[in-house]
Amino acid sequence: MIENFLAGTAALFGDPITILIFVFGVIGGMLFGAIPGVSMLTLAAILLPFSAGLEPAQGVMLFAVIYCTGTYGGAITAILFNIPGAPENAPTAFDGYPMTKQGRAGKAVGAAVLCSAIGGTASALLMMAATEPLAKWAIRNIGPPEIFALVFFGLAVASSVGGNTIWKGWMSVLLGLLVATVGQDPVGGINRYNFGMTDLAAGIAFVPAILGFFAVSEIFIQAEKRAFGKYNAPKLDVNFPTFLELWRYKIAVVRSILVGFFCGILPGIGATLAAFMGYGEAVRWSKDKESFGKGNLEGVISSETANNAATGAAMIPLLALGLPGGALTAIMVAVFQFHDMEPGPLVFYNSPELIWVVFAAMFYANVSILFIGLIETKTILQLLRIPFHFLAPMILMLASIGSYIGRGLVLDVMVMFLAGMIGFLLRRSGYSIPGIVLGIILGKIGEQNFAQGMQMVHYDLITYLSRPICLILIVAGAITLGTGVYKALASNRTSADQQ
Amino acid sequence: MKIVKSIATGVLLAGMVTGVSTASLAGGHGFKCKVSQESMTKPGGFPDRALTMIVPYGPAGGSGQVAAAMAKAVTELTGVDINRDHKPGGSGTVGMTAYMAAPADGYNVLEHIDDASSAHALDSSKPNPGKDLIPLVISQVTFSQIYIRSSETRYNDWKSFVAWVKKQGGKATIANVSKEGSMERVSMKFITDATGMKIQQISFDKGAPRYGALMGGQVDALFEQPGDVKKFLDSGDFKPILTIFDERPKAFADVPTHTEMGMSFTPLLRFRGFYVNANAPADRVKWLQWAFQRGYCQDSYQKFNDSKFMSVIDSYRDTDGARTLINGAIKQYREVYKSMGMAVK
Repeated sequence: MIENFLAGTAALFGDPITILIFVFGVIGGMLFGAIPGVSMLTLAAILLPFSAGLEPAQGVMLFAVIYCTGTYGGAITAILFNIPGAPENAPTAFDGYPMTKQGRAGKAVGAAVLCSAIGGTASALLMMAATEPLAKWAIRNIGPPEIFALVFFGLAVASSVGGNTIWKGWMSVLLGLLVATVGQDPVGGINRYNFGMTDLAAGIAFVPAILGFFAVSEIFIQAEKRAFGKYNAPKLDVNFPTFLELWRYKIAVVRSILVGFFCGILPGIGATLAAFMGYGEAVRWSKDKESFGKGNLEGVISSETANNAATGAAMIPLLALGLPGGALTAIMVAVFQFHDMEPGPLVFYNSPELIWVVFAAMFYANVSILFIGLIETKTILQLLRIPFHFLAPMILMLASIGSYIGRGLVLDVMVMFLAGMIGFLLRRSGYSIPGIVLGIILGKIGEQNFAQGMQMVHYDLITYLSRPICLILIVAGAITLGTGVYKALASNRTSADQQ
Repeated sequence: MKIVKSIATGVLLAGMVTGVSTASLAGGHGFKCKVSQESMTKPGGFPDRALTMIVPYGPAGGSGQVAAAMAKAVTELTGVDINRDHKPGGSGTVGMTAYMAAPADGYNVLEHIDDASSAHALDSSKPNPGKDLIPLVISQVTFSQIYIRSSETRYNDWKSFVAWVKKQGGKATIANVSKEGSMERVSMKFITDATGMKIQQISFDKGAPRYGALMGGQVDALFEQPGDVKKFLDSGDFKPILTIFDERPKAFADVPTHTEMGMSFTPLLRFRGFYVNANAPADRVKWLQWAFQRGYCQDSYQKFNDSKFMSVIDSYRDTDGARTLINGAIKQYREVYKSMGMAVK
């Protein structure tokens, strides 16, 4: 492995054009991830036709690098402006943005930089060490029933985040799950809640909903505060977390690497579930669950470590089996095909040089996050100096473009503003915005896998639970739910007694 | 060059393993362009700017790829750029609605698949791709097959598969895209009716989880088109056991057809093509027909089709041929839907 890695490194840095492409990918991914309204997918779609003119290794490497740095880039806007660059950065905003409001943006961004680099690098190393056996294990042992069980577990764990009470947290998740049912059902293709509108048949897209619930509702809240003279501009803080501060979270980092890597291996799942699961696990194992959603650094660390840990893992099913893990890896299939190649087992046999250039590039891209991230972050943090009356319209404009650009539908812009208004009202009443977003994103994944899983086991729950991974995750989720309800009831009883 | 050589060697080896003819994998042999006119004067200067191609599916799937390949070929041929506008969702209905709302000036073209025909067959208020649109060219026509893992030990051909499925009492599974009224679901109804077997269809809307389900043993078989699983055939992971087509294509000479296995239904084909609004000016439509039909002949497009197994059977239909294919599909779908008790509007 080391010999191959060194050969890949030599090929990567032995050619000036390849170096330029690598640097372009690193910076381009970070920028497109960080600029509100566009994402690494936008950059990937723009670059796709041009990749045909590159050498195969350069083309695939470019997209792999964009994937690594773009996944990190979205954390910056999530933390500073409550605008996740992509769905996988949404959990980063849960605690990152409250930290900005508390004048701790530097610590949040610094932790995101470091943990993205650690998660991504660890993932790249694991990918290099065991791509083929890991892919084969995942494909044999994890099917739709297991993925649903994983989603159920994730929902059970993370639903308590952000709401004033557990009941409001759950109501928020249920609202998200309801929104996720809009559009064609993922298995039978039956239209639901589209009220005859064709565009709604495609469902509510993640990005407009996220931008609405996070960014637009925040603008409304800040505007209201400003109107009533209660607005406090976020304090600019460029103090990064110290090594000792971060060392306290070493277990959270390791746990998120494992969770993120596991989620990343699953075909069609990728970094989004990884980030939510990483965040959820942080909440579950924490002794101070109440502090999540209110500016807990561990929330940022867990989410950013997990989503970057999924990047290397998502390459495993793609390269070993030809199965893309998410949207960007699906675009990478097209890059392979532009060069008359197909990702899959034969790539290892036919083009080992290409594989090791890509592996080496992903490793160095993750290391670059650390260096470039730390240099650029202090500049980006200066954005917080922009006065609200300039910043708010700018964010609204960029968010509108970001909502429209995905599918080119005006409906998506309307959804964004509607989500913003609903989010504004619900936040005032103590409901959880993270819970709603969690419900929307995991609802779609969960429903599809539930339906497929039930078909596979012929609607027999005993057969379903006879799958060991399903049983463990469902029982763990049920215990988490039961414990939460018990605690909430106990707390109600205590307050009633005190009254 | 070294990489290209090693790929060729790999494909050759894989072809020997899977029984797939390598001659057809190389593809494109003896291709003759059916459009002799090499150039055409732009009518009234049309087009004097880039065309917009609405694609009702994502950029990475089969439609996204064929749209990219055809756009490239037409641009190479005419020098006119084509911007692709992906509007995925609702099994192609979102893109179709957006297209019908766009100006019918010839600058907007549409990529669509046979879903447009089946959607109209089920609900006649939806656009009829043979009447409301003018097909410029159908550039991909393919058949479906049933695949199993090459390492499968419980059955190894269609007959043993059917016998095994029958023994499972409805518990065997097959992965496909079994949305209501889809080509896959209708074809599976034909097959199960003809063989008397009961099999649970598991619908996966994305390719990767669908292929992963077969590879990992989560399902027992897969319903798919050969171009979409070419890499798994090349690698020797999957093997076809039934071809749903009237004759054995040379590339799959060892695989029996459904008619040989005693099933008499007319196979439903998957087809992808390009359209323009029927209200677009006639002279512009004529130029677009030439550009897209001749674009099909471009080397780059032919190479693309070969790489997708799309030269295994004749993939080309001009406007008249496309209308025949579309009208036949609509009629067939409508009859099947009625027989399935579905509410045909």
